Amino acid sequence: MSSKPKQQDYQASEAEKTQASVAKAEKSYFNKTYGPLLREMRDVSMREDLGGVARGVAGADTMQSLTGQGPSLTGTKSVDEAADLASAAVGQMAAASAQGLAAQRQQQTGVLGTARGQAGEAMSGLAAASRIQNTKDLQAAKAKQMVRMAQTEAGVNLATTLGKQGFENLGNDTSFFGGKTKLRDDTGNLKGVTRKNTWSDRFKLGAYG
Amino acid sequence: MGLADYSNALMPETRGFSTSTLPSVDDPEKAFADITRQDYENYIQDYRGFEESLIDKAKKDTSLIDRAPEDAAKQAEIAKGVQERNISRYGGAGLSIAQRQEQQRALQRQGQLGLAGGLNTARTAQRDINQTTLADLINIGQGVNRSSLAGMQTASQNAAAKASAYKNAKAAHTSQMVGLGSSLAATAILAFAI
Repeated sequence: MSSKPKQQDYQASEAEKTQASVAKAEKSYFNKTYGPLLREMRDVSMREDLGGVARGVAGADTMQSLTGQGPSLTGTKSVDEAADLASAAVGQMAAASAQGLAAQRQQQTGVLGTARGQAGEAMSGLAAASRIQNTKDLQAAKAKQMVRMAQTEAGVNLATTLGKQGFENLGNDTSFFGGKTKLRDDTGNLKGVTRKNTWSDRFKLGAYG
Repeated sequence: MGLADYSNALMPETRGFSTSTLPSVDDPEKAFADITRQDYENYIQDYRGFEESLIDKAKKDTSLIDRAPEDAAKQAEIAKGVQERNISRYGGAGLSIAQRQEQQRALQRQGQLGLAGGLNTARTAQRDINQTTLADLINIGQGVNRSSLAGMQTASQNAAAKASAYKNAKAAHTSQMVGLGSSLAATAILAFAI
């Protein structure tokens, strides 16, 4: 006969505990090291004016290209030199602003994607945890059900055996529980008196035990 | 800095490290649930506002368009300054009043053209950037949506499995009770037969 299930047999193994322990330490290190970095990146992406930097570069490039050679008399006398300079500078500034803003947005969505990725991991983690919990619940319910069934079955068996043995006893001139034997005379008729059975008599009577 | 600089000598916390210093975890499942819950709380606390602000910007940002007139005016002003300084350097450069007026008109005209062109470029760029940002955000959101659906699927499968297990248990119980009844009936019949 198998022994009663022990709760410790169903607890996490040493390997599982160690794995969980390492994972917890890694997670803690990640949170401590990379969590602040990502938050800092978030703040920088909001605060940093990449457009301003790009515009500065674009302005310098424009001026260096168009006025870097120094002024010339021909240029000064030209009707549209200044207008061309303004036109080129406006175009460059617009391109630089767009480039800066695009870079900033890219940085921001990158930060958010990483943060959301972590949250996504957390969600699938919770789903996995609930799956583990569910398996455990089912196992526990199944175990309880098995215990209940076994108890009922044992009760039924006991009652059936008791009933069968009791009626068998009655048929064998003893009381229902087999405690006494009805005595008969030599002709086989009941004398109306009983004798108390010994344990040896009881074992002899037992047919279902 | 070379790789050698990353040796244990510079990192006291890794020197003499032993796994015995690892945090003790008696219930991995609870630890897992705690960590994942904490991660989600961190996201809500640190990034939810950031995300909403970014969505808002992707929908409403007009910073490039707003800046275009300012840029056009400023660049026209700079060009005008350059022109005046050059003329001054060359002692008027022999320009007649008519030529000077024409230069000013060209600058003004170019300024207006620059403003119109700049605004058009800014509108296009703004729209492009906003759309790209929105697309990126939707992409991120879609990933989150997918994870959520996967989570929901797991939860609903779990609930269905539990419901099915309950149904099976009920059926088993009914069958057991019927067995018990028939067994008792058999005993009773046996008793009367005797």
